[in-house]
Amino acid sequence: MKALQVSRLTKSYGSVPILKEVSLTLDCGERVALMGPSGSGKSTLLNCIGGIDRPDGGSIQVGQVDLGALDEDGLCHLRRKTVSTVFQFFHLLPTLSVRENIEFPLHLRGVEATERLERVEKLIKEVGVESRSEAYPHELSGGEMQRVAIARALSIRPRMILADEPTGNLDSKTGEAILDLLETLSDRHETAMLMVTHSREVTRICSRVVEMRDGRLLEEDIAV
Amino acid sequence: MPAATETVDATSWLWSHIVWRHWLREWKLTIVLLLIIALGVAVFLSIRLANKAAVSGFGMFTESVSGESDFQLRPSAGLIPNRSLRDLRHRLGSLPVGLFPVVETTGVIAGDDERLVRVIGLDLVAMQNAVNYAGGISGPQSNAQREAVGPTFLNTDTLVFSGDAFSQSRGISAGDELTLLFGDREVTVEMGGILAENPNLPSIPENLVLVDLPSLQQLTDMSGVSRIEVRFPEGAFRTEVEFDASEILDAIAEENGWLLETPEQRKESVTQMSAAFRLNLTILSGLALLVGTYLIMQAMEAAVIKRRAEMAVLRSLGVTPLEIRKSWVVEGLAIGMMGSVLGVVIGFGLAQGMVGAIGRTVNTLYYETTSNAIRLELGEILFSMGFGVLASLVAVLIPARDAALTPPAQMMRRGAPGGGLLLLRQRWLGIAVILAGLASSLIPPWVIKSGPAVPIGGYMAAVFMVVGGSILIGVFFRPVSRAMRQIGGRREARSRYAASQLARPAGRHLLTAAGLAVAIGMSAAMGILVASFESTLTAWIQQILKADLYVSGGGNSSVDNRSSLAFDTWQRIEKMPGVSGVDVLRQYRFTLDGKDTVLGASDYSDDLDRTLQMVWLDAPRDTSEKNLLKLFDDKTPAWISESFSRRFAVTKGDSLTLPTPAGPKSLSITGLYADYGNEAGMLVVHRNFTRDWFSDDSITNMALYLEAGSDPEELAKTIRSTFPSLKVQTNRRLREDSLRIFHQTFAVTYALEGIAVLIAVSGLGLALAGLLIERKEELITLKSLGSTRKEIASGAMLEGLGIAVVGLIGGFLISFALGWVLIEVINPQSFGWTLTYRVPWTMFGVLALITLVTAAAVAYLVGYRNAEVKSDRED
Repeated sequence: MKALQVSRLTKSYGSVPILKEVSLTLDCGERVALMGPSGSGKSTLLNCIGGIDRPDGGSIQVGQVDLGALDEDGLCHLRRKTVSTVFQFFHLLPTLSVRENIEFPLHLRGVEATERLERVEKLIKEVGVESRSEAYPHELSGGEMQRVAIARALSIRPRMILADEPTGNLDSKTGEAILDLLETLSDRHETAMLMVTHSREVTRICSRVVEMRDGRLLEEDIAV
Repeated sequence: MPAATETVDATSWLWSHIVWRHWLREWKLTIVLLLIIALGVAVFLSIRLANKAAVSGFGMFTESVSGESDFQLRPSAGLIPNRSLRDLRHRLGSLPVGLFPVVETTGVIAGDDERLVRVIGLDLVAMQNAVNYAGGISGPQSNAQREAVGPTFLNTDTLVFSGDAFSQSRGISAGDELTLLFGDREVTVEMGGILAENPNLPSIPENLVLVDLPSLQQLTDMSGVSRIEVRFPEGAFRTEVEFDASEILDAIAEENGWLLETPEQRKESVTQMSAAFRLNLTILSGLALLVGTYLIMQAMEAAVIKRRAEMAVLRSLGVTPLEIRKSWVVEGLAIGMMGSVLGVVIGFGLAQGMVGAIGRTVNTLYYETTSNAIRLELGEILFSMGFGVLASLVAVLIPARDAALTPPAQMMRRGAPGGGLLLLRQRWLGIAVILAGLASSLIPPWVIKSGPAVPIGGYMAAVFMVVGGSILIGVFFRPVSRAMRQIGGRREARSRYAASQLARPAGRHLLTAAGLAVAIGMSAAMGILVASFESTLTAWIQQILKADLYVSGGGNSSVDNRSSLAFDTWQRIEKMPGVSGVDVLRQYRFTLDGKDTVLGASDYSDDLDRTLQMVWLDAPRDTSEKNLLKLFDDKTPAWISESFSRRFAVTKGDSLTLPTPAGPKSLSITGLYADYGNEAGMLVVHRNFTRDWFSDDSITNMALYLEAGSDPEELAKTIRSTFPSLKVQTNRRLREDSLRIFHQTFAVTYALEGIAVLIAVSGLGLALAGLLIERKEELITLKSLGSTRKEIASGAMLEGLGIAVVGLIGGFLISFALGWVLIEVINPQSFGWTLTYRVPWTMFGVLALITLVTAAAVAYLVGYRNAEVKSDRED
């Protein structure tokens, strides 16, 4: 079964077309890098797949679910259960501690307290922030914040993670470490991953690279 | 499989983990929000409490002095003759009904002529009841006085009794002598004892003196009683007795043209006189809350903007729009609740200070009352809190909707502008609302049975004008922006930047300017009302007050002052050297259609050089005194004031029946005149008629015209030395007094206006903070281009000034429309006064200056604070 099937997706902002008949597929557990210059439509594609923006035409299927058939609540449930996002600027909730940030999506899903604690503890260890678990976002370094964001994304055991420039706001050494972490955890949890990036470095953990230009996918299935 | 529930409501979790922590982290903003609500609720509640306490003093004790009567019989006009009491007893036969005659008058204590004293004459039994009711008597010092207390404690006609408050405020103890002045009479009495306060009953009014009934009648030359209080026995037969007695009492009342009322009905009918004044104050207090609502809306919008990215993250994690909206609504409710609780505490304190001012105004303009202690009733608390919570809920609903419905992708775009009311961009809606306001102004007032007329259409028109005006506020941004560009010059970067922001106003610009315009508009409209009132009153006073000296009984100028001048007294004054002529007036309170009003018996000089100049709205054919003397269709001719015309729905050409001690009299209305001195209305007939009807030759007011060369001050001195109990005022002094009373009446209004503008300007600061947070990216760019922190702050100041100018223009335009509604619709409908529209340009100038200076200062500070941005930090 495919983790993601995007077919002939179109999206415009006003009269400006952003996505032009974009089609893309991802297998379960597969990691794909989405590259291209600024304004080519990468983030818009990611937002449409994550259900936080609506396409004008075409279809998106995550697992068995057709996003076009979902209303706003349905998309919310999709994000609670199936698709997670990791942002360039981390976007941790500032009033929550590290532990609470990771735990929050599990609350939304209504996961029982025992299991919640168990999962959070495990993820804290996996991303290596045991000593910072009670700290708040403003007390963390950029690398630490992105580790927590990754743990939060993985907490719901999603079918797919969408990562928007996950290393874009980090120094190269920290970026390297984050990529290693993403690779390890994606393999361990068998989670598909679509990563928007400008960095060739990121492609080292991906099985494929697709490139976008002016709203179209120019090249597909470039094996790394 | 994890144990999971698909319908988890995240609201409570969001509340405890996100909202609450934001409050703690940003405690200063939280406190500001709470204070805004608290201030609004406090002003609202304090005015309601002070209003209640200021008028509740009426009758609470004095109406019950004879032992909490069940009914009271009182004449529609004049007094109940002494003999009627015997007839009444006879008609009631063996029914065990208690009848307690009461004589009530006013006087002053020598040396303290500004405070009226209510003097109640009671018979022996009623006095004993009063003592029991009060909780005993204390203080007679001498043996004679001690002997006087008990069954014979009113044996002497020179003993008076009062409460602690009277004693303390005047430094009078039991056994002290005091000189009471009743009109032109001076009586020295002895304080027989101080009535003890009963903690379970209303306090004894500060201005109350009790005296033996026959003694008081003798002292004041009254040949009857003011009312008879009726009390039914307690016990098994009460209902039966009440039934039989009521029937008889009803019949007697009807035969004699008396009124049979419960104490509550009486209190209600009297306090209704000030209902319009109190309603106006309540509406004004609502203004503070309305402006507060705008402010909370701005603050909530700012909070939404600040947390946009956070909400986008929440949405990306699967929180539904409904859950986000609910969490904001819960936040608004919680702030509303907490702010309201704080408001109740502050309001209680404010009311303590306000009750005196409102009480004084009610005393001066309406009726004699004493301010009771402020009582915080549950109903009032809940009503005011409900208002506060509703205001914050309304304020939060639109930002909450914005927060929930803005797509997360848009929210995540850094620096994406948003927020503000879409409503404020719909100009057609603004025009439609204003047209609806104009249409509403045509709706006639709603008249409550025997109560005040409520100008429903006027109030609706006022609200529509304010809302419509605030919706149209956006049209002024472009002209202001262009003006700023021109004034600043093309090279001035700061003004160009500020002007560019104003040229394409964001929702927040519109909301802020609208809030400011509402506050300015309502304050300036009140200014127009006050100025129009003052200008009309001044012109009226100038026309009316032509005499050189004015003489009346002692005490202040309350319309409830019942002091009179005996025939001999005013005749002696008239014959004093230097006096060339007099106008005299005898005022009687009477009740018509269940509403209290005033009968003026006029007897004025017809000398063309110095005749009384009425301001006619519908003049009689002949405006001289003759018009009042000549019977018209066999009816007594009468002139009525505008207020009287409105209250009793009669006008020139109509007839009415006046209740008098000599029976009902038919009157024909031949003239309608303006009178801004008496809201209860006045019916004027010639004194020749009332002399017979009331068997009374006394007068209450006297205007003296002096011969050329006579010195008014000298004559005033002579009158004062001959009749020390009289109040003698020169023309100038009376005019000054009238205006002083006028300004005292509006003192609370001025305070409320100040609060409204203060709240609105604070809103400007909050809104600018929101704008700058929203534009953080731009600020970073400005800094990177070399702008200093001070330059950014100056830019913010110019932008703030631009918004303030838009708010001022819009506010003043709203005030012109609102002023028109107040003067042409609300005022005539609720007070019955025709006013001349007058704009107080100086006040407008001061208001504009204060607003601009404060706005500039607040905007600069906010700009300076927010200019400290670091490009590597996230929101």
